[in-house]
Amino acid sequence: MKRVLFLLLTAALALVFLVTIAQDRHRGWVKYQRQFLGTLKGAERRGIARGVHQTIVQGLDRVDRCTTCHLAATKPQLGLAEQPFTAHPGQYLQWHPVEKFGCTVCHGGQGLATEVKAAHGEVPHWEEPLLRGPLVQASCRQCHGEVSTIQEHAPLLVQGQQLFTAKGCYGCHAVHNFGQTVSVDLSEVGAKSHQLIEADFEMMPGPHNRIHWLRRKLAHPRVLNPGVPPEALPRGEEEVFPSSMPFFGLEMADIEALSVYLLSLKAEDLPASYVRPPHTPPEPTYASAVTRGRAVYEHYGCTACHGIGGVGGRRNPNNGLAEEAPSLLYVKAYYGDHVEALKQVIRQGRQPAPRADPHRPNPPLYMPAWKERLSEEDLEALIAYLFALSDRLPAAAVGDLL
Amino acid sequence: MAEPQLPKPPLMTLVKKTKLWKSIFRHDFTDTPKTRIQRIFGNVFLHLHPVRVSKEAIRVSYTWGLGGLSFYLFLVLTVTGILLMFYYRPTSLLAYQDMKDLTFAVTLGGFLRNMHRWAAHLMVVVVILHMVRVFLTGAYKPPREYNWVVGVILLVMTLFLSYTGYLLPWDQLALWAVTVGAQMAANSPLLGNEGPFKLPFITTANDARFGLIGGTVINDATLIRFYVLHCVAVPFIFTFFLMVHFWRVRKDGFSKQTGEKVDVWPHLVSREFLAALLVTLILFVWSLVLQAPLEAQANLNVTPNPSKAPWYFLGLQELLVYFDPWIAGVVLPTIIVIGLMAMPYVDTNPKGVGYWAKMGWRKVGPVPIWYPVERPFAVNVFMLGTLMWFVLIFIGTYCRGPNWEWYWPGELWSHRRLTKMTLKNIPNLWGALLMGAYFALGTPLPQAIKARLSRLAGPKAPRLASLLMHAGLGMTMALAIFIPILTAPDAEYPVRSNSPTLFEALGRSTNAPVVSAMYRLVQEAGAGGYAMIGVMILATGALLGWLGVQLAKLKDRLFEQKGLIKYSLIIGLFLMMMGVIGKILLRLLFGVKYVFSLPAFNFNI
Repeated sequence: MKRVLFLLLTAALALVFLVTIAQDRHRGWVKYQRQFLGTLKGAERRGIARGVHQTIVQGLDRVDRCTTCHLAATKPQLGLAEQPFTAHPGQYLQWHPVEKFGCTVCHGGQGLATEVKAAHGEVPHWEEPLLRGPLVQASCRQCHGEVSTIQEHAPLLVQGQQLFTAKGCYGCHAVHNFGQTVSVDLSEVGAKSHQLIEADFEMMPGPHNRIHWLRRKLAHPRVLNPGVPPEALPRGEEEVFPSSMPFFGLEMADIEALSVYLLSLKAEDLPASYVRPPHTPPEPTYASAVTRGRAVYEHYGCTACHGIGGVGGRRNPNNGLAEEAPSLLYVKAYYGDHVEALKQVIRQGRQPAPRADPHRPNPPLYMPAWKERLSEEDLEALIAYLFALSDRLPAAAVGDLL
Repeated sequence: MAEPQLPKPPLMTLVKKTKLWKSIFRHDFTDTPKTRIQRIFGNVFLHLHPVRVSKEAIRVSYTWGLGGLSFYLFLVLTVTGILLMFYYRPTSLLAYQDMKDLTFAVTLGGFLRNMHRWAAHLMVVVVILHMVRVFLTGAYKPPREYNWVVGVILLVMTLFLSYTGYLLPWDQLALWAVTVGAQMAANSPLLGNEGPFKLPFITTANDARFGLIGGTVINDATLIRFYVLHCVAVPFIFTFFLMVHFWRVRKDGFSKQTGEKVDVWPHLVSREFLAALLVTLILFVWSLVLQAPLEAQANLNVTPNPSKAPWYFLGLQELLVYFDPWIAGVVLPTIIVIGLMAMPYVDTNPKGVGYWAKMGWRKVGPVPIWYPVERPFAVNVFMLGTLMWFVLIFIGTYCRGPNWEWYWPGELWSHRRLTKMTLKNIPNLWGALLMGAYFALGTPLPQAIKARLSRLAGPKAPRLASLLMHAGLGMTMALAIFIPILTAPDAEYPVRSNSPTLFEALGRSTNAPVVSAMYRLVQEAGAGGYAMIGVMILATGALLGWLGVQLAKLKDRLFEQKGLIKYSLIIGLFLMMMGVIGKILLRLLFGVKYVFSLPAFNFNI
């Protein structure tokens, strides 16, 4: 009995051990390497070692094992038509030698991994997914501070950056010390941890990753944060408003461009030798105070709440003025004779915005203080622009108001 | 050429004649009584065994080999641990990268890590089961009390080894599991910077947390500290206690000595070998099939919700719901350890050594119950404690989701769900009365007083006195729970407590099940509702009193048998254990947060 048991257990143990070794010998990459080497002639094989290939990038503290499977990435003469054996397209590797940059610093993914899904970062608990297709442009900004110089290669990134200003995102969001603090700082949104957006994932279908989340948020801001109505709350708790980020009605192309730009926003921790800092733009000149005021209005992101050209209409729950951020078309009518009062409002802001119903919470959007950000000249120009806005109103309407 | 060919002696025979062979293998291997003995005491690794042992004692179903397997798992962990140390650098920049290297590049690296991880979990389980076995077979009773204490120390060290190892992968799981423990240390009474009654010289730079993790947050200092503790310091001390443990097993003799004796070689040694083989096979398959978890790299800026301690500490973490960290994390574990260590010294019942606790059937009213015949109190209390420990672990593991909210196993977690229970405190005077009455339930009625009572007021007087005492205490407790809940102003919603009626305030201020039920009674039945609530309070008091009366006989007997000191220890520990259940019920049913609270001293119960 004991002898039989002994034999059986020993045999089973030996078997399991062999299975373990076999499994270890046949990791995912082995298949690809064999497949690739099979397509080569004897002479070509020289110089291609079997086993895990890795690039140790000293300057970036990275170890990338991507070339274990992507064997022709750095050898264009051996490139095949299908993945993972294609050669790296373009001249990018000449400009960014693999020894100095590695792969993952641009493409994302998990450089240390040697299994397909894990290496592409498409597994739980890996925060850097592979940046597929044009999304890879997001990585350029880590070093190229001045993205306009690489517009040819990163068109979406440049477009996204321009859109970010044009849509007035800076009015609520700060990026590296520029922009307001009404909503979250976006300086590191491109590296935002999955665990911080878990609650948002509950409100969206499809792949639960940062890229998808950004697209969703840009397309339908309120869907991810619908708030909690009072009837769903325990007694005595205050209701939670839905996200008050305005619905911008962005096109798919715009969303893609903005996603690329937002993904490019990460902590800047690359060594100085890699980085090309942005050059300071020359002081712009303006034809008139109104043009300058308009530039100020757009530059600082007033459009986000007050609308393009000050038409207003952005939703702000429980705000005194019909639950909307105020339109600026009537500024002249209200403050035409009280410019100092208007300046005061812009300088100090309105925090919080007046409530429509005193029993409900404060409106989430409010007028921030601008006194530290706007110079006196800019303020004058801005007011000139705001007063000029009322010219767009039909004459009769202005007449009625006055 | 016709030389006669001498038959050549076989090679082995020649080898066995060499000095070299003889100096290593001191005896031959034929199976004779002599060699059986020689194998045991001629071998440094086997000589911990006696030469002969009772046939009954080595039955698998007596010990299940649990003690030996604990040691074997310790060996497995040592070997896999040493191998892992070749690939591991304990700095925050490299540790996580080394985990990835183990998984993706090192030959059998992932397997090695899995095996170390699963063997550690298995060792915790096996050590606990070993302790339960020793308890249920009475193997902690004299002369083995001291070895039981050593065993408890080894259990604590097993848990600590596992805990220190938990940090080393340097992933989110590790960081936040260890943070839970570190926070508990910061909340130690006297020695913790955030604990009650902290001593005047205690700061963040010299409190218990600093001692544990070398800072206020987990960082490189913690990693190297835990690395040294895990790989060197604790195993070193562990080995010493292990030696004492084994030495005492030999010196005190095995707990079962009766019956026919057999040779340890081959009867016991073969069983041990097979058990080790079986466990190795289980570990191999386990490590092949299930990967050890590795989450994202540790990041102090991102707290996972929920962050859970390692499973064997989840019972304590679950207790954090019901108690402040200094109780759940420091006082209760200390009491558990002290209680376990004290057990062989206060349990003076000589019965039940050398066989599994005898069980019998008894009828309580119409309900048949299965109960331990020979030492009912000891077995029941121990098993209740063990059961509680595992029930709390189960709840912590499977029933707690984001914000430590209750989720049924399999229910989908939601990070948007809001806390449902509102809580309030019982004012201190009522709380002191409640706790006082509760612990006064432990008062026995000694024989001397009983005798005097029956002399003074007839033979029924002692019973009546006991009944009065327990009923009084029960009623006091019921009142001390209900009156403050009904009348005390609510700290968190002071405005709402100004509502017109008592029960209006009640219904608005907390939504605990019992309180809501009372509110609805009043709403729907008016005066009848008030009457029913009154009856409910009386019934609760009567129930508590009845429980006290049930215990009275046992208490009086224990007091007579054990004397004052042992009795106080036993009943104190027992009441504290049941008090934990009581506090859990108070919280879940009545929405009571603290029974007694001194915020100025961080002292809340």
